Formats: sequence, C-alpha cells, structure tokens
Amino acid sequence: MSGVALKVSNLSVAYGNVVAVHDATFTVAEGDACAITGPNGNGKSSILMGVTGMVRRHGRVEIFGAPAKNGDVRWAARHGLTLVPERRQLYPDLSAADNIILGCYAWTRSMGKARKSASFGKAIDLFPELKPHLKQAAGTLSGGQQQMVAIARGLASDPKILAVDEPCLGLAEALAKRVYDVLASIHEQGTTLIVVEEAPKRALTLCNRRVEVRNGVAGAA
Amino acid sequence: MKFGNLVLAGLVTGSIYAVFAVCVAVWYRVCNILNLAVGDFAMVGALGVDNLYRVKGLPLPVAIATTLIVVGAFAYAYDQVVLRIAQDGPRRSEGIVVTFFFTFALSFFIDGVAKMLFGTDVHAAPALWNGQSLTFASLHLERAGLLVLLCAIVIGGAFWVYIRYTLGGKALEASGENSIGARIVGIDTRRYRRLIFVATALIAAVFGIVESPITGYTYLSGATISLTGFLAAAYGGFRKPGRALLAGLFIGVLEALLGGYVSAEYGDTVLYAILAAMVLAWPRGLGFESAVSG
Repeated sequence: MSGVALKVSNLSVAYGNVVAVHDATFTVAEGDACAITGPNGNGKSSILMGVTGMVRRHGRVEIFGAPAKNGDVRWAARHGLTLVPERRQLYPDLSAADNIILGCYAWTRSMGKARKSASFGKAIDLFPELKPHLKQAAGTLSGGQQQMVAIARGLASDPKILAVDEPCLGLAEALAKRVYDVLASIHEQGTTLIVVEEAPKRALTLCNRRVEVRNGVAGAA
Repeated sequence: MKFGNLVLAGLVTGSIYAVFAVCVAVWYRVCNILNLAVGDFAMVGALGVDNLYRVKGLPLPVAIATTLIVVGAFAYAYDQVVLRIAQDGPRRSEGIVVTFFFTFALSFFIDGVAKMLFGTDVHAAPALWNGQSLTFASLHLERAGLLVLLCAIVIGGAFWVYIRYTLGGKALEASGENSIGARIVGIDTRRYRRLIFVATALIAAVFGIVESPITGYTYLSGATISLTGFLAAAYGGFRKPGRALLAGLFIGVLEALLGGYVSAEYGDTVLYAILAAMVLAWPRGLGFESAVSG
C-alpha cells in the first residue's frame, strides 16, 4: 500500500474575511493513519471541511489521483473520502438505523441494496452495543452512542479514506478509548484514516504520522 | 343513518384538509418552511381546466395535461429563480423567514393572475365521474366525493411508503433534520426541496381538479385551502405527514358532526373552540411544542 490516497496542495479556506487555513500542503499515503493536530481554533476542522468540499476552498485536492471538485461533497464521498464531522451532525428524529443506512446514500438510492450491502452490515457489526438501540431516535442516545452512530454512518458509505473530526469531543475516558479501539480496527482492515485531534498524545496512539496546524498554517510534525 | 352519512361527508371534507396538510407537512419536513401557496395551485388546477375546457374548447384530457404542465413548470421556475436566491444565497441564515414570506407573496401573485385570467365568478372543472350518487344501505356518497377520498388515500399512502420504505424518503427527512449532516452523506438538499415543491404543487392541482365539482372555486379559494391545510398540519406538529393526514380527517369529521348535531350556523365556531381547547390542554401531545421549538 504505497499509493497516495490524498494530496492537498496550497489549500486555503476563508469564512468571509477571516482566513482559517492558509496554504496547507500535505499528502496522506494509502493505508496511513494521519493525525491533524493543533490548538482549538487554529484551522484543523477547516482543513477537513475544505478537503471534503463542505466549504469552498482555494488550492488543489486530489483523491486517489483524481482532482476533487470544489464544494462537491457528493463527489468526494463517491470517490472514497467520507467525513465523520465534529459534533456528529446526526438526524435527531430519525432512528439510529436510519441514520446509519443514510451513509449508503453516497453510493446507492436503493433501500434494498443498502440493507443487503457489506458496508452497512460491517457498520452495524462493528458496534454490537448499538444493536438494542437501532430503533431509538438518534437524538435520545447518549453522547458516546451518537458518536458510534456517526462513525457507523461514515462506514456505511464504504469509504477508502475516513476523515474523523474530534471523535472524542465531550466523551468520558472509557468511551473515548472504545472509539479509538474501533478506529484502530477500521484502520487495520485497510481504510486510510485522517483524525483531527487537539491532543497529539492521544492521536499518536493510533496514527503513524502527524500534520501540525498553527494559526491556519499546516506543516509536517 | 344520519350519523353514518355525516361521517362519510366529514371524511370527504377531511380528506381535502388531509391532503393539503400532508403537502404542507412534507415540504416543511424537507426545508422547515411553511408553503402558504399550496392551496393556490389547487385553485389554478380547477379554474385552469375549466377555462381551457369550457371557454377555449380543448378536449378534457388535453386541458388537464396542459394545466398540470403549466403548474409544474411554474413551480419549477419559482424554485429555480426565487427559492434558490432566498435559500441558497450568501445570506442563507435569513432564508427560512424570507422564504416563508416569499410563499405568502406567491399566493397573492397567483390570486392576482387568476383574477385577471378567470374572473371572479365561481367555476369548477368538469366532474371526472358523472352519474347519480352511490348508495350503500342507507349511506349516500357523491361520486366526486368518492374520487376525492380515493385520491387522498392514494396520495397519503404514496407519501407514507416513500418516506418510510425508501432511501430517497429517508434522505428527504434527513434534509430537513440536519442539512449539514445530509450534505455529508451526499444528499442534495436543494434537489429534495425542489422535488417536493413541484410534486406538492402538482398534487394540489390534481386535487383541485377532482374536488372543485363538489364545492366550486373562485380565484380566492386557494388561501382558504392553504389555511385548512396549515391548520391540520399544525395538529400534526408540522413535521409529521402521517399525523397531519389523520388530523385533517379528524377535523373534517368533527366539523360535519357538529354541523349536523349541534348547529349548522355555529358549527365552525364550536369546532375551532374545541381545537383551541385541545391545543391548550395537550400541546406536547399534539406536537405544538416541538413545532415551535424546532
């Protein structure tokens, strides 16, 4: 596994007049687990938002060699890059199962195909503790369970690169460890991981390389 | 058998409320905006077909097809030009309130154009199913009334199946629940907003064509229809099309029973007093709190 999964060149992201990311350049190899670390408010999440197309960007992003369309999340998801966002962004009135199966929307419009798919089955199997709660509205789940649903939704989209933003935000230490164990398992199965974390110590228990972001400027650490 | 006939009549009226409530609730489910113009598309359907068939002399199927094409094309264009600017422009955070008023303005606009084109008299599309009223035991039902009921069942059932059993239906719900979360999995929220806006406009037009032989329409009928739909949707908590449908049927039957047993003159007053009392006594159960708090 030596190909380049993600190549980011001169990426800049701005919100109005505020520049959140300035000229970020880095690559993530296929099979890597890459941490993007740095203090809060320094542009870590904005890098992921720009790379996945959630916000408009300047600069070039390539996913497995193909130039990514600016601002097109669907394109990124269909080409293998899926975001598990900060604060989960679930659909609170929909059941946990519906939240997870909607991850399949990246590659199919058929409920039958989605239900029978390997990616949906894998996403459900990875979190046995969610099984009793699959029919429960996602908004009524605990923070840890919601984080698991968000990761499971990401996996249902059958990603080659899973970008996870602050996976342990607001979680107790035991739950944070469980989330990291699951991410390690996903990585072992061949998925390239990008993890945004404030704390480099925790991130480096999982990741083999790190991009440090300071004041919107990214560099290898 | 007075009771049975009142219930039947109430179900016909209620199914009108129910369908428009479902139209209001489904679009609200997608984009959290109330469409106050949905009833005006029903009026355009009824008066448009009447005008093309009776005045212009076109064959009925051609008149119906032409009216539906015009309604669909207008709804599509309105989404592309006005709703797109209001919802997808750079000041999107203000878009929901702005769009609410845009649908209000659309209602006035359609009413004004209809007044110029169709005049102010009461008209109706020709009945699609002619003949004497149907009789079962001592129950009587107009054929147009049965058609209205069947339309409501088909439309309500189709929405129910779409939302409950298809991935597209789940994507539609996700669009309204969390538009950022929806975009993350590749859902085009604008596409669903447009799809449902055009679909509900067409459904309203079809319903106007089917229902107008019973009540007759003027250019102002659309606002009344939207209001009844809005009311029933409110009792379904706005976000739940299934409950909106049941609420519409309930209001229709209650209205008919009050008119038959209490007072034909003051039936509506008693009806709205009962509905208001229900809101005060049971706001959470009726979904009013969630509708207000989002």
